[in-house]
Amino acid sequence: MRVRYVNAFVSLFLLCALEPGCGTQVQSTDNPPDVQFKPQQFQRPENCLPCHQRQYDELHGAVKSGYRNVSPLFNGLESAGNLVSGGLLRPVYHDSTIVLPDGTVLNTNMYSSPILTETRQVQAGFCFTCHNADVEILGENPALREVPQLAGLGTCNPAPPAGQQCFQPQQFRPLRDYIMVDSNGNQVLPTAPGGAPPNGAQPSLAAAGITCDFCHDENGPDLKRSFQMDGFGNASLLFNQSDVKVGPFQFPVAVKGGFHVASNNQSLVAFLTAGAFCNTCHDVRVPNRNLTAEEHNINQGGQNVSYFRLENLSTEWQIGPYNSTSNPFSQVVRCQDCHMSLFPYAGTSTYQVGDMTVTSPTPGVFATDYAAVPGVATDQDAPLPLRKVVEHYFTGVDVPLMSPAELSSRLGPNYPDPYATGADTHGVPNGLATRREDLMKAAVRISLKKSDTSAQLGQKFTVRLEAVALTGHRFPAGFSQERTAYVQLTVKDNNGFLLYQSGYVIDKPHPNTGEMTPDGNLNDEDLEHLHAIVDPGVHTATYTSGTGTNGGNNLVFEVGPDDGPDARVYVGAPEGLVLFRNELTHIFLPGQPIGRTDPSTGAAVTAQGVHFEETFQAALANSVDNFRSLQPLQPRTFDYEIELPTTQQMQAIGVTVQGPLHVHAQVNFEHFPPLFLRFIASVTSASGPSGNNLNLMDEQRIDTYLKNVESIASDDATVALTP
Amino acid sequence: MKIRYRYPAMILVALVVMLAAVFAQNQTYTPGEFQSTNPNYPKPDPFYFEGRIDWNLLGISQPQNAWDYMERGIHYQDDMDDIPDAIADYQTALSMNSLQNNTCQIVTAATVNKYGGTLPAQLTPAPCIFTLRLRLGYLLEQTNPATAIELFQEVLQIDPQRLGVNTLIAETYVSEAQQSTDPTTQQQDYANAVTAYQAELALSPITPQSVALTGDMANNSKVHWELAQVYEATGQNSLAESELESYMQATQWHSDDYPWRVALAKSQIQTLQMAVK
Repeated sequence: MRVRYVNAFVSLFLLCALEPGCGTQVQSTDNPPDVQFKPQQFQRPENCLPCHQRQYDELHGAVKSGYRNVSPLFNGLESAGNLVSGGLLRPVYHDSTIVLPDGTVLNTNMYSSPILTETRQVQAGFCFTCHNADVEILGENPALREVPQLAGLGTCNPAPPAGQQCFQPQQFRPLRDYIMVDSNGNQVLPTAPGGAPPNGAQPSLAAAGITCDFCHDENGPDLKRSFQMDGFGNASLLFNQSDVKVGPFQFPVAVKGGFHVASNNQSLVAFLTAGAFCNTCHDVRVPNRNLTAEEHNINQGGQNVSYFRLENLSTEWQIGPYNSTSNPFSQVVRCQDCHMSLFPYAGTSTYQVGDMTVTSPTPGVFATDYAAVPGVATDQDAPLPLRKVVEHYFTGVDVPLMSPAELSSRLGPNYPDPYATGADTHGVPNGLATRREDLMKAAVRISLKKSDTSAQLGQKFTVRLEAVALTGHRFPAGFSQERTAYVQLTVKDNNGFLLYQSGYVIDKPHPNTGEMTPDGNLNDEDLEHLHAIVDPGVHTATYTSGTGTNGGNNLVFEVGPDDGPDARVYVGAPEGLVLFRNELTHIFLPGQPIGRTDPSTGAAVTAQGVHFEETFQAALANSVDNFRSLQPLQPRTFDYEIELPTTQQMQAIGVTVQGPLHVHAQVNFEHFPPLFLRFIASVTSASGPSGNNLNLMDEQRIDTYLKNVESIASDDATVALTP
Repeated sequence: MKIRYRYPAMILVALVVMLAAVFAQNQTYTPGEFQSTNPNYPKPDPFYFEGRIDWNLLGISQPQNAWDYMERGIHYQDDMDDIPDAIADYQTALSMNSLQNNTCQIVTAATVNKYGGTLPAQLTPAPCIFTLRLRLGYLLEQTNPATAIELFQEVLQIDPQRLGVNTLIAETYVSEAQQSTDPTTQQQDYANAVTAYQAELALSPITPQSVALTGDMANNSKVHWELAQVYEATGQNSLAESELESYMQATQWHSDDYPWRVALAKSQIQTLQMAVK
């Protein structure tokens, strides 16, 4: 090599090494990026199966993979949002002719908008973008489009331009209707909206949801899509549709037949293996004005896009102790260390949190295995090294609300049974339900040690419950305004007579969804702090968006006997339910209908002042309290000031209270509040705004599949009864 | 340096630097600066965040405004069990968010649209905070019931339909009545309590629609129980019996935090019926 070439080569290296942007930092680039490798369209995970069987099998049963896309809950929630807004949450594409009130054309969606400058751009594909960004990108090509743009987005008032129709709720289909194909790969739809899968229907690419390509085609964060320009939330992720796949390893082995090449871009490898990668989707910021916390898109031109924080998981981790070395493990504990490792099946650690001594599973322990199938995956059958590998189960708090047969009918044969028994070759249970339960049991600890040690009839005494979350984020997290963790607490005398209860449920009828008598099942019962029923709306001949006929407000909203959450948060009273669930709030402004009618006049009840009320329709929230959940590694003490009955009162009912008293506390996890599921059932029923039964949720499904996890942590205390 | 050594040396240096850079890349990843403002400190728009935010997340070294003082007061009350300091902070907060000195306002009008109405980003003076009043009022119930009731009534000015506030007013009157030795004052306190309890019940009425949706023939068992105790204390036995009947209906599908009250209510109804006869 001539000296001058060597010189140039060396200079290039030096320049590159000295240049901060060379390899050390991912630049936010326009999508699609300048692809240097062979283009390769997003693929189905089955294409990866021959060489990555284990990873395929694990991902197959992960809820973020196939299940989420056919989930009756996800589809119902997305439908409810669309039925109140006139379909605004469905994607639009480049060929859209929708004109916004300011005269601009709405032809980009949440993913394709270079900068999100209009609320309607964020709404366009709001749910679909995170769950199916790759399919939304492909949808720019009408031939590959799975989820169409709906006609007449918004409303009939004002009337749409000549030649265009109004939003037609009776034609509205849940997302899962669109994600089926025939044997030729052509889209097939159920006969009626929400109907059964047509004979021979197979899952489409969108049915696979978060696929291998979704993650391994990553091309760094898209800082311009994140509202704070930090790569957090709303699918702030760039994709590289090529045969280069980003994996976690240094020095990857050459792939057989050049099916793909493994990326050597160390910045992208580092991104994939960092919490930052998960951050791109695990904050969800809803484009509604938050009336109690002003936040807006800080990208240039984005100031009109305000938002509130629905899922705030990534921010919670980012600012929490596990994204530092100030935690019991003295090292950063990433998302991958709990949700892609052998956790919680790789031993335990004991440590101190405040004055609590905690023993819990150790994060960040990985199995040793081959990353691909030996003898199949490599060029010239080159030997594969044994490596520390990750699990692709992504276990979280969710299990399917569907039977294995239903799952297989929509997602292909042999869908994993969520309640399967046995364990895999790494010793991890096969059944998602088991993994979820074990994960939940690693999440929180409680102690009653600080409670009063004696009590007297006719007097008050105080139970002090200390609780600490061991999670990397707050507990619960994710859709934390509905995911429910709470304390069930009882005080009994020595004969088992119940003196006090909190966090209890009662078997009762649910006439609004057809359960006319108690059914013997407690998993479908709401906690007794609040009695609420949400208006499902009704179908009307001419559609008008909003809550008027489309529901969403509370038809019934009453204080229950165990109203600890509000009493504790707003009043500071030491009583009632300890609920770790966050809260979505609808702030009604003076004069605005709150959803109920005056029994004497029949007129709509309007807000007389500024009225705060919990809402279960996320699309109506304009405030959120994300601080009711437990902070990680920050113990909190909750007092229960309990009034014991007098001797005379007990005599009146023929009871002699015998000491000592026994206090039992346990933390339970509720998948979703039943009243929330009943709202989804009603709003997507034939009597709801669409006029069709979308076959997503009903009382039977709630009764069959809503399985709560009880006693993920517990403690007991004894209290002497003094004369 | 001779030329024959110069290039190998440069190559060596370049390789070392490059490898160091690659090694460094594997340790950390920075996709962009995490947002510069504290995501846990809400900027009112125009209403204050009502409720409690973990004090350690707020990053407040010295409270600057009513909301800051309120949050520190909550920290003292909930986390430190330091009630005197909590009261002091709540009182400071109240002095900065007060109807009396015009540092807060009751919002009574807004331009309402189908999604939620419109309001300017800032209101001058700022909206009154209800959490502050509820918290301070609760802590003053026993020691300064008159002030507690005033604070609760201000909350009803902010939001006349807020559940539970009338109950707090009623409980304060009952507490006053129980402490009073003057029969006239006592009767007036009990009468005020009854009025407040009934106002609470009126906010979540039983309607044909609610019965059809829930099957509940009564609700708010706590208020019915408390009302029965007031009527019994004032010798209004038939009203007490009626409230206990409502309590039984309200607890049919919901029980009670104190489940023995259900059996006791049944027993008391029998006793009252015998007394009426």
